[in-house]
Amino acid sequence: MEAVLEARGLRKAYPARSGPVVAVDGVDLTLAPGEVLAFLGPNGAGKTTTIKMIAGLVLPDAGQVRIEGRDPHRDPAALARVGAVLEGNRNVYWRLTPLENLEYFGVLRGLSAATARRRGRRMLERFGLLEKARVLTQQLSRGMQQKLAIAVALVHRPRLLLLDEPTLGLDVEAAERVKALIRELAAEGQAILLTTHQLAVAEALSHRVAIIRKGRIVAEDRTQALLAQFSGEHYRIELAVEPDPERRRRLSALGARVEGARVVYAGEEEGLWRVLEVLRPLPLVRLERHRADLTEVFLRLVQEEADA
Amino acid sequence: MLRLIAIEFKRGLLMLRRYPVEMAGQLVVITLIFYGLFLGARYVAGPAAQFGDRLDALIVGYVLWTLTMFAVGDLSWGLMSEAREGTLEQVFLSPFGPLRVYLARNLAALLVVLAFNLAILLVLLVLTGARLRFVGAALWPLLAALLSAYGIGYALGAMALYFKRIQAFLNLFQFVMMFLIMASLEQAQGPARLAGALLPVAPAAGILRDLLARGLPFDPGAFAVALFNGLFYLALGLWLFLRAVHLTKRRGLLGGY
Ligand SMILES: Nc1ncnc2c1ncn2[C@@H]1O[C@H](COP(=O)(O)OP(=O)(O)O)[C@@H](O)[C@H]1O
Ligand SMILES: [Mg+2]
Repeated sequence: MEAVLEARGLRKAYPARSGPVVAVDGVDLTLAPGEVLAFLGPNGAGKTTTIKMIAGLVLPDAGQVRIEGRDPHRDPAALARVGAVLEGNRNVYWRLTPLENLEYFGVLRGLSAATARRRGRRMLERFGLLEKARVLTQQLSRGMQQKLAIAVALVHRPRLLLLDEPTLGLDVEAAERVKALIRELAAEGQAILLTTHQLAVAEALSHRVAIIRKGRIVAEDRTQALLAQFSGEHYRIELAVEPDPERRRRLSALGARVEGARVVYAGEEEGLWRVLEVLRPLPLVRLERHRADLTEVFLRLVQEEADA
Repeated sequence: MLRLIAIEFKRGLLMLRRYPVEMAGQLVVITLIFYGLFLGARYVAGPAAQFGDRLDALIVGYVLWTLTMFAVGDLSWGLMSEAREGTLEQVFLSPFGPLRVYLARNLAALLVVLAFNLAILLVLLVLTGARLRFVGAALWPLLAALLSAYGIGYALGAMALYFKRIQAFLNLFQFVMMFLIMASLEQAQGPARLAGALLPVAPAAGILRDLLARGLPFDPGAFAVALFNGLFYLALGLWLFLRAVHLTKRRGLLGGY
């Protein structure tokens, strides 16, 4: 199937007084239909710049963007296939009601006014905003405004939805609601590229993760695979007593590390049984297979880069 | 494109309606100005009072002044407030492209202003029983003046897009417009006369003076100059605007940084 998004070799340097700032340095991204890619990185890593190059709002110095095969910088029809909610922007008119916003932006993206209104009403219903259809947007809560911005970005049914820090600045509850909405959209097959510097958001929502640091992608894989890769075969055994010296010697011969009453074994499952053999019959408190979360993956990658 | 103009018209009216006090204020001001003109108070027509003493001349002068000022500033004020409020980039995401969207928006806004003015004028005509003998030919130089003025508007819009804060500069432009409208270069000799043909808005203002104040017949040659002048400045303004869009996207400054 044709990729919804294909970005190759994107590069962007901004001029600054102290010489050019390289914001994005050779980024490749591909998104299949229905896929959710989390674009993860610390502040200033180049996420927003990348998103805006994809949306045709920032001109790349090098590289190319294709949305269903079309270049958003040359072919305006490509823009009809994109919807975007940009970071730190209102994205919608606060002086219009939600329904008026949906109608206006629907027409701006190529729909007829009647279609835009009809779809707009349906989206408000879906997004739980119908009772606010005629309230001025400025009177809505931050969470509702953000949901409206997402609705407006979707009213023309784009193949690709770009979300730049969609939960930034929301309180916990509103952030959860927006996350649930994004998960729903993903389940319906909407291709989404979302940026975030919040690892939990990426872990909860994405099929794939690309981690960007200083304008370069330092890791990219399926979210689960990335977690598994960094989890490794890593077991933690807690005992009620400290193993005696003889056991400690045999454990370290098997490659296990002993820290007081805890044994950490990073190896195959087969080896784990041999470790347990050695420990028998010491009283066990807990045995767990350790699983990294994205925070650890992220910290390790960023650390490795810094060491390199 | 018609769809775009229609939706911009609707958006413009809705936005106005959300500030009823402001809108009422504007209507009152326009009404007072027209009423003043009816009473023969030339000074309320501002710098455009030099088009003759007759009521119709005063009104045409006033309309020329307000519409050209509106045409010069409308785009820039809009761009600056949208950049500040964070909706500018959403407009630039339209597959129609910013030029068509803003042309539609400008046209819709002009229609709203025209409708306001005409409605008030008609009401006053009915109430006072005054009669106007409009020189129909005056519409043509007005149109040419608007083309030039929108050209300036797009050139200023180019600056607003890139620099974001040009309020002071825009306010200064009132005086430039005043000069262009009042200079009466059509009566000058030598290079100044040539400048009168080359400067934006000036040739159209000159034709209006000829028609209304001096009672001269419509001069197709002079109108051709004014029309060409208008088209030239509009094309120049649009070209500058597109250059600014490109430059702003290159510097990543669309949404303000
Ligand atoms: N328009 C701009 N002009 C100059 N520098 C910019 C501009 N936009 C972003 N930058 C710089 O580029 C780098 C990447 O920024 P950005 O893409 O916003 O990162 P992120 O979204 O990951 O936080 C930062 O160092 C930022 O200061
Ligand atoms: Mg960002």
